[in-house]
Amino acid sequence: MFQDEHNLRKAIGGMNIDAEPRSAHREQLRRQMLATFEAAGRSAGASSRAAAPSRTRLVSITLAKLGAAAVVVISAAWGVHHVLRISAGPLTFDQVQQATQKMAWLHAVVTEYRDGAVRTDQQWDSFDTKKTYTLTADGSILHADYGSAQRKFFYSPQVKAMMVTELPRRGVWGARSAHTLVDTFAVFADQDDVMVDESSDQYAGQTVRAFELDRSDPGIKVKGRAVTRLRMRLMADPDTRRLVAAHIEKQGPRGAVLAREEWVVSYPQSGPEDVYALGVPRSVRVIDQTAQVIGTPSVQPRPISTPGDTGRSRLVPVKIELPKAFFIGTPQPSRVPNLARPRRGPRPPFLAPPGTTNVAAGKPVTSSDSEPFIGTLDMVTDGDKEADDGSFVELGPGLQHVTIDLQKRYEVYGLVVWHHHRQPRVYFDVIVQLSNDPDFERGVTTVFNSDTDNSAGLEEGRDLHYTETNEGKLINTKGVAARYVRLYSQGNTSDELNHYIEVEVYGRPVR
Amino acid sequence: MAKPVEQTPYDDLVVQAKTEAGALARLYDLYYERIFKFCVHRLYNKTTAEDITSGVFLTVAGSMRDFKGRTEQDFRAWIYTIAANQANAYIRKTSRRKRLMENVVATRRAAEPGVSPWSQLDWPALYDAIGKLKPEHQTVLTLRFFEDMDYDEIGRIMDIKPGTIRVTLHRLLRKLKEGLRDDLGGDL
Repeated sequence: MFQDEHNLRKAIGGMNIDAEPRSAHREQLRRQMLATFEAAGRSAGASSRAAAPSRTRLVSITLAKLGAAAVVVISAAWGVHHVLRISAGPLTFDQVQQATQKMAWLHAVVTEYRDGAVRTDQQWDSFDTKKTYTLTADGSILHADYGSAQRKFFYSPQVKAMMVTELPRRGVWGARSAHTLVDTFAVFADQDDVMVDESSDQYAGQTVRAFELDRSDPGIKVKGRAVTRLRMRLMADPDTRRLVAAHIEKQGPRGAVLAREEWVVSYPQSGPEDVYALGVPRSVRVIDQTAQVIGTPSVQPRPISTPGDTGRSRLVPVKIELPKAFFIGTPQPSRVPNLARPRRGPRPPFLAPPGTTNVAAGKPVTSSDSEPFIGTLDMVTDGDKEADDGSFVELGPGLQHVTIDLQKRYEVYGLVVWHHHRQPRVYFDVIVQLSNDPDFERGVTTVFNSDTDNSAGLEEGRDLHYTETNEGKLINTKGVAARYVRLYSQGNTSDELNHYIEVEVYGRPVR
Repeated sequence: MAKPVEQTPYDDLVVQAKTEAGALARLYDLYYERIFKFCVHRLYNKTTAEDITSGVFLTVAGSMRDFKGRTEQDFRAWIYTIAANQANAYIRKTSRRKRLMENVVATRRAAEPGVSPWSQLDWPALYDAIGKLKPEHQTVLTLRFFEDMDYDEIGRIMDIKPGTIRVTLHRLLRKLKEGLRDDLGGDL
């Protein structure tokens, strides 16, 4: 055997480990790396521009003075002063309003704190087409067309109907939207008795320009209670001039806070095409309460019919056993976009038709990663929901999925997934699909999708990221009939790996 | 006396790569295969090695503008440090590598029944013996014997004095020999 390094080198040299790289990976990584490099450069450039905006301009001024005649110097100096005043002067709210409302789409995550409860809504604004869409925490969908149609659409999953009404001709018309937020601020800011404070501030690690106003008796109410004081703080990116966040506080008598809202704003390239894209069933009843006009109305009213099976519409609470919590409260991982705010208090009961049970218990599980790093795939449905070591299966990095075969078709009303609740992590690109096709090539229903940038390549999602807790994530699946359940994820805030402690699927046999 | 800094034709490229994507792409072409092979030799699995290689270059891309080094030697030490750290972090976090190693050992043994053609150098036993070392020690072996680096360069990557690397390697070789002697029933 070897006596020294020479012999070991010979030994290793004969190992013949296959280490030839794949050209596809090389090229893909090259693109990713250069994109990361450019993104890092833009980020660094933005901060350095904010720090020293006028240095090069001053040099330009000096050179101009040295090289030009007096009249030219005067002209140049005026010109430079004019440029500086426009581009490097303090950002005005008018500029913010213009820059924000010229974007094709605005997406906002709005978290409202009211009466001890927290709810998080999402809304999309299309300033071009004058449309807003709001997806509320309880699954209701509100759509306002404040352009030519002047209609408001409200869908309630509880009522299982969509109401169509006319928008009020004046005043607040109900849709919480960035349109009204920005315009309301502008209206108040123009009033003689309102002062707008402007300052530079830090928000989510970036320097922002903050605009703040304080308005007494703004003439609005919160659930019937008059707001006596409204405080609005809007924050804008000084580079893009666009709104990035807002804090709204509505106070009642004696300074009691009636409601508080926190807005996080982004600008996607596209938004929902219509209310159906947000999950309104195409078969839903439409109740049109608008005044009928001569000609063909845009939406034909349909009569409300009696449900065919009244017995099946009765819902009962389904008991979900929870594992013990590993941490108190829900600390939020920072810098996760589209992150749902934690709910205060326990989750409301999950309602489903009588006879609904966990039909996934003990059912077989397959995965895109057939060789988990830790644990085995049967842990996904073994009933052990605790966060201890030995209770979870760890799958490889990147996009991975597990598929549960329910072994026959069920009406699936909901499912609960626990990825890993030892720490308050957020798992990325969580996508949940139901199908009767084991390969998920046909008849696939997506019931949850937080992949907002479509990095998983399945479709762009509109659900919020959420923080793992011992409650798991309850997903309403609305009675979809399916045999197979597939859950995707693509790493988490702690590492690039994917974990499952347990998945419960609540359903009953297809009738 | 400190070893003089080695000059290479790519020193300027390193400086340019802090601001120019084209220069960074050329550095990538120079180092992609080296880092990938290093990862394969550390992890014994090409798919995992691709993942770690991706992590290494994305880290480099994100931090290149802040990289303080000015020579290719600096860059090489930096990128191998990142690779070694990421590979070691991966190994600590997973139990898969152990299984992969066991698979490699089993496959090799199945392919070499009876009297091994390597009667003097038993590969499965060597894999096995390397796998029993600490991740940092495996890194030392990989850098020395797969990447052909000298003690100074390994020392820079691992932030350990070259003399310590020399002693560590000596002890590792002895440990490997002992491990192999046990594995082969004292036939050493």
